[in-house]
Amino acid sequence: MNHFDEMTALLYLEGQLDTEHAREVSAHAAACGECRELLRALQTEGLWLREALAAEDEAIPARLAAVPERGGAPWGWIATLGLSAGGAYTLWSGIVIPWQTQAAQAGFTQGNLLTMLFFSGAFWKGWDAMRSLMEFMAMATLTIVVSWLLRRHWRRLTTFAAVMGALVFALALPASTSAAETRHGDPNFTLPAGEEVHTDLMVASERTEIDGTVDGDLIVWSQVVIVNGHVKGDILGFAQELRVNGPVDGNVRAFAENTDISAAVGKNLMAWTKVLNLEQKGSVGGSVTVGSTDASLGGTIGGDVMGFTHAMEINSTVGGNVKVHGDYLTIGSGAEVKGHVRYEGRNEPEVAQGAKVGAIERIIGKSPSEPTYRGAHFYVHHIILWGVGFVYGLAFLLLMPAFYADATAECKKYAPAAGFGVLFLFATPIAAVIACCTIVGIAVGIATLLLYAIAMYTSTIFVAGWLGEVLLGARPGMGAAIGRLALGLFILHVLRVLPYVGGWILLAAMIWGLGAMVLTIYKRLRPQLATAAAV
Amino acid sequence: MERRKTPGEMSAAELADVLAQVRAGDADAWGELYRQYAAAIFRFCRRALPTREDAEDATTEVFMKVRQKLGTYDSSRPFTAWLYKVASNHCWDMLRRRRIRQDLETGDLETLPLEHPDPDQLERLQAEHTSKEVRGGLAKLPDRARLALVLRYYADMSYDEIADTLGVRRAFVGVLLLRARHQLRDALSEGAAGTRGAAAGSNA
Repeated sequence: MNHFDEMTALLYLEGQLDTEHAREVSAHAAACGECRELLRALQTEGLWLREALAAEDEAIPARLAAVPERGGAPWGWIATLGLSAGGAYTLWSGIVIPWQTQAAQAGFTQGNLLTMLFFSGAFWKGWDAMRSLMEFMAMATLTIVVSWLLRRHWRRLTTFAAVMGALVFALALPASTSAAETRHGDPNFTLPAGEEVHTDLMVASERTEIDGTVDGDLIVWSQVVIVNGHVKGDILGFAQELRVNGPVDGNVRAFAENTDISAAVGKNLMAWTKVLNLEQKGSVGGSVTVGSTDASLGGTIGGDVMGFTHAMEINSTVGGNVKVHGDYLTIGSGAEVKGHVRYEGRNEPEVAQGAKVGAIERIIGKSPSEPTYRGAHFYVHHIILWGVGFVYGLAFLLLMPAFYADATAECKKYAPAAGFGVLFLFATPIAAVIACCTIVGIAVGIATLLLYAIAMYTSTIFVAGWLGEVLLGARPGMGAAIGRLALGLFILHVLRVLPYVGGWILLAAMIWGLGAMVLTIYKRLRPQLATAAAV
Repeated sequence: MERRKTPGEMSAAELADVLAQVRAGDADAWGELYRQYAAAIFRFCRRALPTREDAEDATTEVFMKVRQKLGTYDSSRPFTAWLYKVASNHCWDMLRRRRIRQDLETGDLETLPLEHPDPDQLERLQAEHTSKEVRGGLAKLPDRARLALVLRYYADMSYDEIADTLGVRRAFVGVLLLRARHQLRDALSEGAAGTRGAAAGSNA
């Protein structure tokens, strides 16, 4: 064999030659001093290179000494705190203060919105009432889910009663120490005239008729509720049709399609309904708060009227002020408003001759369903909102880059993400409210609800990240990720201010992102669960 | 082939334990893993990339990738090897994105216009240069040449792994390495011929 070249020598030294070739090289080197020299020189060079590369004469930079997630934390937390402050400020200045101002202008004299909502007016019956309202909402949600699940059997109307009965039973379990009486209709429930219930009465049935007296609150889930008797406490009604023909000493809180009041309500009336009808012979001692499509108010109202309605017709004697948001306001000839009237709506209010009303303060061109697209304020507001969202997302991205990346990746699994999103959208508040009502306690429940709200807000970030990735491609690196987030959030913000569909798009994004979050968390918990199971 | 050991390296069982905890989302375990390997990855990046700043950024980014891709790590293979693979892919991506043109210019390496080395001269070169100078010379090499040397002589990668990382044929890896060695020799000789001594450490 001739002298081999340097390439062959290198491959020989590195063990890259096949056996036969290596043997030839080895045999030649044994005989040839020159080639032996070359091999030795190359081998020494290899060792020398390894040594030079391995030498550790440079300290690790300080910024790498800390674990990245923790290392980024101090200013990440500062950003988060700043964001929270910004978010709270935006909420406060954008929503709470205008509300308060409006409420104050409308004559709702309670100085503080929270006080107004929780400690007075239609809501107030202490925290117990709050609890019952939350129970109520949880049950309503659960009802919707269960009835949806049972929709195949929906033909048998008794299913409805059975479901309701089961729900009330569930509700009654934790509340068993309280002195409420629970009745299930089969399918109808009637409290006969002359009979008196001496505690709170909870009813679930297809049709409920109260002819007797309830010396407590009446809480009722029914398709049709007719109250002819006397309710000495509040009525909390969840129904398709709610008719109050008998006197109520407390408040009426109605969540119904049609609400009809033709008797005296001692305290306040709050109705979230499609049609509210306060008949001429009816009366409300306190204030009326109504959210509805149509509201027709007759009789007498001792306090204020606050309405968010498409069309409102007032024929009553109103002791306080009237404040209406809506499209149409009609003040009939029988109306007498002692306070002032403030109307914010699209169409000119109609005032019949003979109506005893002072000047109507009207804010033109604003309808609650139609945001104003003109004006710098609108854009500034949305830029601030986008900014808050972006800073929040950024903080999230920097604090938990891996989680962010995982959750963004989970967004690509459209169906599971959406499924889990819907599930948790309903399940979380239910769990939280059940926690509120039962052993775990109200603090945990409320904390869960707050976390839920935060999670809903956070969820859009992942969808934004996904959207950015779809548009810009998945380039690695933090800068690219931030760019994708910014663009995605911007597009989401533009979409959500679209009239009509914007809200739905936002909801869809939230559900989707929530599902992705849940999937990510689940995947992270899974190995732990597996370990736990093994132990 | 024996892998280089990181000082204070965890035992295989400890490592498996920590990895399982990290996969479960345990922040403390992640911290431990990071502290264990950050230095090695930084040193790798420091050698593979031209500047210290690049190396610092790359280290952070490599660990982000490690965390994302930990699920794909096959525990039957050495963890360090996998770690270096992730790091080298990242560094090569980074360089390639930045220096597409240069790669095209140095793409015609398959022909080997290499003069046979003089063993004596080679030994002299080795004797005259400190480790720091060698790494300084390394920083002057074209990206691919530098990375090839680092992958082979620092990260102890096989020819297959190097070929895979750099996107070349396996048969070309030897050529790449030999060529890179020549380029390093040249860089060091030039440095020595120029400002001998003063040049020492100029690139550190």
